[in-house]
Amino acid sequence: MKPTRALALVFVALLFTWLGQVALGYFQVGKLEPVLNEETNLPNPPTPSGFAQTGARVFASEGCLECHSLSVRGPAGSADLMRGWGPRRSVPRDYLFREPALIGFSRIGPDLSDIGERMKEPNDLMTHLLNPRKLKPTSTCPPHPWLFDVKLAGPKPEHDAMALTTPNWKQVVPSYKAKALVAYLQSLNLGYPLPEAPLK
Amino acid sequence: MNRNQSSKSSVASQILIAGSIIWSLLGGGFQILANLQLLVPLVTYFQPLPVLGFGRLVPASTFLLTYGWIGSGLLGVLMILVPRFSGIPFRHGRLLSFGAMAWQLAVLTGLTQILMSGGSGLLSLPYSRSVTLIFLVSFLVLGTGITRGLGGTWKSGPLLPRLYLLGGILAFPLGLGTAELLLRSGTAPGAVQIINQLVWHSFVHHLWLAPMALVLVFQLLPTLTGRAITSLSLGVLAWGLLLTLGGWATNSLASQGPIPSWLQSTGVVAAVLLFVAALGNTVLFQPLLEGRIDEIRRNVALRFLTLGSWSYVAAYGWMMFLSIPGVRQNTAFTVAWNANQTLFLFSFLGSILAGSIYALLPVIKNLGWPSHSSLLWHFWCTALGAAMMFVGYALAGILQGLALNDPGVPLSTVASYLRPFLVVIIAGQALWLVGQLAFSSLFFATLLKLFPLTAPMAVFPPSRDQNTDLAHAQH
Repeated sequence: MKPTRALALVFVALLFTWLGQVALGYFQVGKLEPVLNEETNLPNPPTPSGFAQTGARVFASEGCLECHSLSVRGPAGSADLMRGWGPRRSVPRDYLFREPALIGFSRIGPDLSDIGERMKEPNDLMTHLLNPRKLKPTSTCPPHPWLFDVKLAGPKPEHDAMALTTPNWKQVVPSYKAKALVAYLQSLNLGYPLPEAPLK
Repeated sequence: MNRNQSSKSSVASQILIAGSIIWSLLGGGFQILANLQLLVPLVTYFQPLPVLGFGRLVPASTFLLTYGWIGSGLLGVLMILVPRFSGIPFRHGRLLSFGAMAWQLAVLTGLTQILMSGGSGLLSLPYSRSVTLIFLVSFLVLGTGITRGLGGTWKSGPLLPRLYLLGGILAFPLGLGTAELLLRSGTAPGAVQIINQLVWHSFVHHLWLAPMALVLVFQLLPTLTGRAITSLSLGVLAWGLLLTLGGWATNSLASQGPIPSWLQSTGVVAAVLLFVAALGNTVLFQPLLEGRIDEIRRNVALRFLTLGSWSYVAAYGWMMFLSIPGVRQNTAFTVAWNANQTLFLFSFLGSILAGSIYALLPVIKNLGWPSHSSLLWHFWCTALGAAMMFVGYALAGILQGLALNDPGVPLSTVASYLRPFLVVIIAGQALWLVGQLAFSSLFFATLLKLFPLTAPMAVFPPSRDQNTDLAHAQH
């Protein structure tokens, strides 16, 4: 085999890989558009706020994907739906507005695709981030105290301080990152129908 | 090649190999710290630093082991090997040293970013755009140096190492450049980004690292055993299969995931055919090693290369097993895929890298290895450590998958199932780290000439039985 021929073969093989997957994938799922919900006149999937997008980056940087996935499977061959991780399976259209699009490949913890629906109360999510065992004593999730500031409370606690009893007149206040992360987690829900994945 | 010419590449290769060993120790240490937190979650309540959090340590260790240990190390040994098989010495030694230093800088910057401000969350692309740029500049220098003159001397040596070299050297910059462009410049919509991540993950493992390791296997095994590859056609076929389908294999990881179902099916087909290619290559390795058990036992380079060659088949066999539709439904999202990573990185690539360093470093340094006991510690600790990690992850993954698919088992119970296996995994990681420490002590002692050197190549002394046999034969 001549070197130029070998070089050409390598290029063709690499091109085949990229074009075969990315280009064909683009033609199949890259041109998907949101679907208009005729009742609410809002698009599905819903567009996340900029604050939630910031939270997505906090989610990625804290390494949450090392334990949690963002992709519900089923109904056949998987117990995801029966575990209550979502009302339907995840489909490519769900990721239209996700930047970056993350799915995760580990499930030491539960799938979070629908966590915004499962834990609606932001304070519960904040408490979980600060001390996961407070709400669920068997949780293996690590705490994230660095996402919170401990400050002197003064005569009156700040309006977003957490309802925690702390010694020495101190208050626990979520940082900007914690708030963004909670906004992102609240934006995660699969409770809207799509033509290819209707709600049962 | 005269001594002056060879020393030009030797500084760069020593920087790359020394960096590789240091990163492997750090990466191995981080793995243990992360798994200890998983084993005893209460530990996490006593450390207030995000730098030491589970979510930072895991991506940092994966990054260090992939780009720092294996990536840097394979480039280092190729810089020793390639000028010798092409017969064309390196020029511009300082430029090569700059390239080697730039690679270390990229790893250090990436590590600092991941630890201090967290990874990007993207599969196999946890670092920022600036790190990508440094990697690309470094690889441009090193890759140009490694492949320089390859075309002119194409017919002067074996074909297969050259073919794999061409594949590995081209796949990295093309894959990384395209992944960076599509994933971080906003050109690909969210749904396509998932496909891009899977393709780039495949590129790193099957089109960059695996071909670079196979260059070393196909060049060093025939040299060390004095035998030739029996079928070039079979070798070229296996090369073609790896290069054509290597980029598709990770799709099977996204079992029932949000990617088109035909992509998942092609992932399964690719995993099966890559195993067939690995079997084809084993048919080529086997005659080289047949009847050479004493040499394999005595020559540590050959011993590691043999282990690496067999682990190569095992890694692709395990990947194929995990990709079979009935199995992957259960093992998707479990640590069974960590078992695949262990076989691939620690047993296959790690062993090939260690064997190549043992075989090639004495060539440039004109030195031997000072301590036989350290050689033994290195081999047995790393081999047994990797085996323990694999068994732990594999069994834990299967059990985890079965439990996850049973909605009656609470998630906290599923996590508790992992704990006994985590003990085995951590013990394996600690054992591997001890072996790697033995290797690093050998390596740096050799470089610094701390010990009187006895052997020109890394060999174990003949065993007592062999000595007795030899004495009888002489008598």
